[in-house]
Amino acid sequence: MSGPRTISLVARREIRERLRSKAFLSSTLLILALVGGSVLLARVVDPGTTYRVAVVAPVPPGLAPALERAAQPFDDAKVQLRVVTSARAGRQVLEDEQVDALLLLSDDRLVFRSEIDAKASAVADTAVRALRRHLPPEPELATETLNPPEEEPGDAAVLVAYAAGLLLFMSLAFYGQWVISGVVEEKNNRVVELILSAVRPQHLLAGKVIGIGLLGFAQLALVAGLAAALFVGGAFDAPAALGGDIALVLPWFVLGFALYAVSYAVAGALASSQQNAETAGQPITYTLIAVFFAGYVALSADPGGAIAGLLTVFPLSAPLVLPARSALVGVPPWQHALALVLTLASIYALVGLAGRVYAHGLLHGGARMQLRSAWRLIHQP
Amino acid sequence: MATDMLAERDALRESTGVRESTGPGGLVLRRLSKRFESVLALDDCSFAVPRGRMLGFLGPNGAGKTTAMRAVFGLVRVDAGDVLWDGRSVGLDERLRFGYMPEERGLYPRMPVGEQLEYLGRLHGLTATAARRATRRWLERLGLQDRCAAKVEELSHGNQQRAQLAAALVHEPELLVLDEPFAGLDPLAVRTLAEVLRSEAARGAAVVFSSHQLELVEEICEDVVIIDHGRVVATGHVDALRRGSQSRRMELELDGAPPGWLPATAGAELVHRRDGEVRLLVERDVDPELVLAEARDVARVVAFSYGPPSLADLFLELVAR
Repeated sequence: MSGPRTISLVARREIRERLRSKAFLSSTLLILALVGGSVLLARVVDPGTTYRVAVVAPVPPGLAPALERAAQPFDDAKVQLRVVTSARAGRQVLEDEQVDALLLLSDDRLVFRSEIDAKASAVADTAVRALRRHLPPEPELATETLNPPEEEPGDAAVLVAYAAGLLLFMSLAFYGQWVISGVVEEKNNRVVELILSAVRPQHLLAGKVIGIGLLGFAQLALVAGLAAALFVGGAFDAPAALGGDIALVLPWFVLGFALYAVSYAVAGALASSQQNAETAGQPITYTLIAVFFAGYVALSADPGGAIAGLLTVFPLSAPLVLPARSALVGVPPWQHALALVLTLASIYALVGLAGRVYAHGLLHGGARMQLRSAWRLIHQP
Repeated sequence: MATDMLAERDALRESTGVRESTGPGGLVLRRLSKRFESVLALDDCSFAVPRGRMLGFLGPNGAGKTTAMRAVFGLVRVDAGDVLWDGRSVGLDERLRFGYMPEERGLYPRMPVGEQLEYLGRLHGLTATAARRATRRWLERLGLQDRCAAKVEELSHGNQQRAQLAAALVHEPELLVLDEPFAGLDPLAVRTLAEVLRSEAARGAAVVFSSHQLELVEEICEDVVIIDHGRVVATGHVDALRRGSQSRRMELELDGAPPGWLPATAGAELVHRRDGEVRLLVERDVDPELVLAEARDVARVVAFSYGPPSLADLFLELVAR
């Protein structure tokens, strides 16, 4: 029988078995509720945005009500006008953070301090157009900033970075645990003997990892997809570009899962019959935790620094660190490429090695296989 | 009398349709050797299971039966020797046409019985439809049709055994290898299993099973192989092996014999004694008339029988420690 057919049969069985347990459905619903809830929470905590806009006198009649009307569709945002005597005075209050934007009607410009607020500029644009009875689509106002954009990542970027890292860490640990408990259970209740009489161990391993990985991916795609859509749709008061960083979580889950789930499966195959899945998986879980915290510390200290850069491309940490760092300060394309190549190479090496150890470990009843004999097995021709 | 018994059993076998001819092909274990650390589990072990035949695989605990069976499925890598099917070395493609009941039973505990059998059928290459049909047929045959949707862990011990049997049979294997299939079964289940195995052999499958229930093996198998310390110590037709033995079995039922009476005839070995019954093994060339005459001198002989030793006697003779 062909390998792909066997792998797909095994993978489909894994998916059916996990869906039967309800743990998957309830955890998915819980995480979706958390993401949805965070939007709701943001609304409750922040009942409505008020844009403070400075305008140089004289203010044309009708500007204030036009701004109010234009702001209404944006979650009932309010606009507070402040009249200044000159453009110069306006720049001063903007610099002093007394207002969020300066509207210069004489030369059709809207000036922000250091970052352009897409919503505020849309509101001002709409209002001015209405006032002048112009039709879309040409923008009425050019936007600019007083200062170059700040180097420090914004609050939203930090939140996205850590949420992405945490989500990846939890997904890898959670679904990795499913893999190892599946392997240990199969081994302990001896069903593996029956399965391996008809299936190559590599195909069993592949089917199991792919089946559980697909479930994890589906869950993450729902969660990350919802979050990314909320960002792009402007549900959060944050740059839409962060939505792309959230989407990065998905390919890196696939890569990270391939790496860690195969390791978990091998650890499960090598476990003795007395060991349960949790203790057998400890070395992998500890590695995952160590990598997560190393990434956290390195990114908090200096997201652009050498250590953060190293962790971005190192295969064991890349899946957790790269998406987070991308949200914080961006990752240069060559580092994306290097991380991808190194991680893929590690997966390739690991899968080749795992095939042998897995087969031997599963059939090695009773005592735990010594590392030494596992090593011999890997090196025999 | 003994000859009558054998004839009667041969007639029984004929009626179940088991083919007596040794057709070409089937399973051959050729000179298998396997060492685990200091233990030699298989030592130049060779035997064959032709298609359409049922072979009883006997040996004391630790003799290497399970290792030999696992070797057929590639679950243990032998140090030397070959496993052949129809003359060709056995690989995964051949194994898909084999059915296996491992020594340590195991199915997915939380998976419904029917779904599980379908899955195993499909892993062995059946289409979804064929797997479903075969599952239904075996569940009905084994009386599990009501339990199709039940999880394996919810089944009684006996039903779990039946599900395990169905798992070995669902893909209509050409070779059936069963490790202690009769262990722990009640007499009704023993009868059902024996019938299933007979009909599988009649269908043309090669059937081999290990067992310690020697009376049962004697009753249902035409061929046996006996191994000890990984070596084959006897192989062949059950009756031929029994007739070829150097000893004969003698059973007397005596009325009024002095307690502890034994015939003085040379080489008589007491196997069993209860109330008036005495079971002996004697040398093959001992004249039964002499023993009978001796018995008549001391008691009234209610019953007397003489014939080849039973398989159990033979087993003990061959693997005496």
